[in-house]
Amino acid sequence: MTHSADLADRLTEVVGTRGVLRRAGELVVYRSDGLPGYSKQPRLAVFPRTRDELVAVVRLLADQSVPFVPRGAGTGLSGGALADDVVLVGLNRLTRILSIDPVERLAVVEPGVVNVALTRAATPYGLHYAPDPSSQAACTIGGNVAENAGGPHCLKYGVTLNHVRAITAILPDGEIVRLGNAEGEVEGYDLLGTFIGSEGCFGIALDVTVKLSPNPQAIRTLLADFTSVDAAARATSEIIASGIVPAALEMMDGATIRAVEASIYAAGYPVDAEAILLIELDGLEAGLEADVARIEAMCSAAGARTVRVARDDAERARLWQGRKKAFGAMGRVSSHLVVQDAVIPRTRLPDVLAVIREIAERQRITVCNVFHAGDGNLHPNIGYDANDPDEQARVHAAMREIMATCVAAGGTITGEHGIGLDKLDYMSLIFSEDSLAAMCRLREVFDPARRANPGKVVPVHSCREWHGAPRAAWTA
Amino acid sequence: MVPASAAPSPAVAQNASPATTPSSSPLRPASTADVREIVGDAIAQKKPLRIVGRGTWLDAGRPVEAARQVSLDGLTGIVDYTPGDLTLTARAGTTLAEIARATADHGQWLALAPWGGDAGSLGATAATATAGPMSGALGTPRDIVIGIEAVAGSGELVRGGGRVVKNVAGFDLTRLMVGAWGTLGILTEVSVRLRGLPEQEASLALRLPNAPAAVAELVTRLRSAPIAPLGIEMLSARLAARLGIGQQPVVIARLAGNADAVTAQRAALGAFGDLLDVPDDVWTDLRTAEPAEATVVRFSSTVARFHEVWVAVDRLATAGDGYAHASVLRSSARVVLPHNAGALPDGALELLRGASRDTRIFERLPAALWPGLAPSRATDRLSAGVRTAFDPHRLLNPGILGETHA
Repeated sequence: MTHSADLADRLTEVVGTRGVLRRAGELVVYRSDGLPGYSKQPRLAVFPRTRDELVAVVRLLADQSVPFVPRGAGTGLSGGALADDVVLVGLNRLTRILSIDPVERLAVVEPGVVNVALTRAATPYGLHYAPDPSSQAACTIGGNVAENAGGPHCLKYGVTLNHVRAITAILPDGEIVRLGNAEGEVEGYDLLGTFIGSEGCFGIALDVTVKLSPNPQAIRTLLADFTSVDAAARATSEIIASGIVPAALEMMDGATIRAVEASIYAAGYPVDAEAILLIELDGLEAGLEADVARIEAMCSAAGARTVRVARDDAERARLWQGRKKAFGAMGRVSSHLVVQDAVIPRTRLPDVLAVIREIAERQRITVCNVFHAGDGNLHPNIGYDANDPDEQARVHAAMREIMATCVAAGGTITGEHGIGLDKLDYMSLIFSEDSLAAMCRLREVFDPARRANPGKVVPVHSCREWHGAPRAAWTA
Repeated sequence: MVPASAAPSPAVAQNASPATTPSSSPLRPASTADVREIVGDAIAQKKPLRIVGRGTWLDAGRPVEAARQVSLDGLTGIVDYTPGDLTLTARAGTTLAEIARATADHGQWLALAPWGGDAGSLGATAATATAGPMSGALGTPRDIVIGIEAVAGSGELVRGGGRVVKNVAGFDLTRLMVGAWGTLGILTEVSVRLRGLPEQEASLALRLPNAPAAVAELVTRLRSAPIAPLGIEMLSARLAARLGIGQQPVVIARLAGNADAVTAQRAALGAFGDLLDVPDDVWTDLRTAEPAEATVVRFSSTVARFHEVWVAVDRLATAGDGYAHASVLRSSARVVLPHNAGALPDGALELLRGASRDTRIFERLPAALWPGLAPSRATDRLSAGVRTAFDPHRLLNPGILGETHA
């Protein structure tokens, strides 16, 4: 049993006064993450500055049997970093890049290193860190590991999982373990692969060894515009089926295009288009033009009005900024925005997008689509006013219908944002009780006391041996 | 089929577990329901099972003591293949050859291409995480498998991942089962991502120098050359000869892409020396070169030490009357030593014992050699916990990972 004031005092001994937030007013900012519609207040927030402080914090929490939620930059879109009356462990002060080895093409970073900062540090060596979530200017490598984050260029280069070689992690009970091996292979279970994407339920990464990728010799960025979403979807399916693997293949619909073009992120997209595809090809200079020509032909055959190739780096950067800042640009359209996330088989893009449109009309909501079309990774984004209960109810109903549609098409309920809090209810759409129970037992291998990110990822009722929520350890 | 080993050397015989000696013919489930029944019976009778896939490589992994064998050669067939999605789902016992035939019709392929050839099954390739010469460029089973269905040792039917190429729903049971050697569950279905077959290909060989410094320089230059090969493999002289590429050590590269890309890459490789065109079949021949009975050890290394590892592996291959090859893209080398009634030449044994423990993985060994060469790893808490979470009674391939000898 722990009194939170006592705990705060003891945490302060570890991290200093400026490293602990305990007053309600100070904690307000940590009530939400990138997902609107939830508000959960942490009991305390603690911000270690060094690895040693982090280890001491986790061990203190273990010693006191206190549940906690690890948090990176708080850009997550599934509510995974929300701490409901438990301790929030902020990792955003652990920002050191410990090493960059251009020969091995590896970097070792602390969990709070911002995604784009790593690429910036690798640039002098002609290298970059491949996974590039839209939030890469703010999100952290630790958060990327927790969510197994993706991004536009994951179509060709793979998600976080494919770029992490090793992790030193502290388990919730304070034990430090080494997962994977930066210098080669390891025998036995892929505990590293299991840890990645575990949404902060298995422990906290103290350091992460990631692969750095050589910058491609040549890049071509194409913008194809269409008068219908359906035509753009068909072009996408054609391109994927052709076997050419673009570095990225993104779609934005008319509503998104117009929001972007009306914002400071205006990228020069055609505002009268109903859909655009942003297609990037990269690799060797030789042969790239031939692939560009094939892609142009496929887009034209599917009904593209124009296909233009970015002339230089500046134009390419502008085209990409419009895509990556699209969520921000939608702030102009409505007060709240749910960025949804689901994946479908790529041949199903045209018909699933049509069904989503039909659901939106029936529920009288606005859905904007900006997503990783090449992966079949949809982001149907719903703008709404969270203060309007009727609209909120319709948004939730539509969301559930959209998820059910994607699952029925052979898809899944999240491609890169995670389950967190938001998608707990959908887990039973895709996993049997047996599978969910197995996941519960897997979590208990890493965290037998279930103190790390309690209540997330797997619905509590699926854990057959669950004996009450761990927050019972608290007293006020 | 039982691994032919026999005649263990007296020094290790006492510690050696006998190889699987099934009391009767293997169980041959034809459906996931059959597999559930088999595991259910094993639980009820507390009798362990040896899962053998299609039985093509039974000397892989440590010897297993089990009452019954479960062969998955009857659990076959492609369950779902929509070419436009570039994904495929097949039952675990489906051969890679069958998948290759089905996908080639649509200009696609499953880029696993593991050691051992295409007679093996998709399930065994996933369960053992067996990679091959393309894995440096195209990924290992960990990257290519997107979903699994398995009957856990607890009797539960579990699914991980799915049939889409991007998926972070729930804890990653797929990653856990891939490479678990069947010790967590019997894989019944596996989903994979596919690739389009390259428009053009060219396989080329160039001479590999002997001096370590020259090897290091060549590898460094190859890694930064303007090429995007599907594989670059160094071959010892004996292996090169076996594959019909002369009597000297060589590097072979598999170039792919459209016509312009292949032409340009060929020119770029030409800067490294005289090129010899070799048939594209060389990659299949490389994968199937291993004798039915062989000791196979894999050494993984850093880029910086790779040339040293190569020299050591080449020496080991020579001492053991075998051959060596190494992936430039993965900095990983394999040595293949044929053996005679379970014995290796003393010189080779000596070198194997001396190799750093961190970097070597024994793929195949005669049963008698396991305890002496690869004593069990201390079982870490997490791995033991994972095993208990899925196979609480230790019924599936007990001992194959060295976990029960600790």
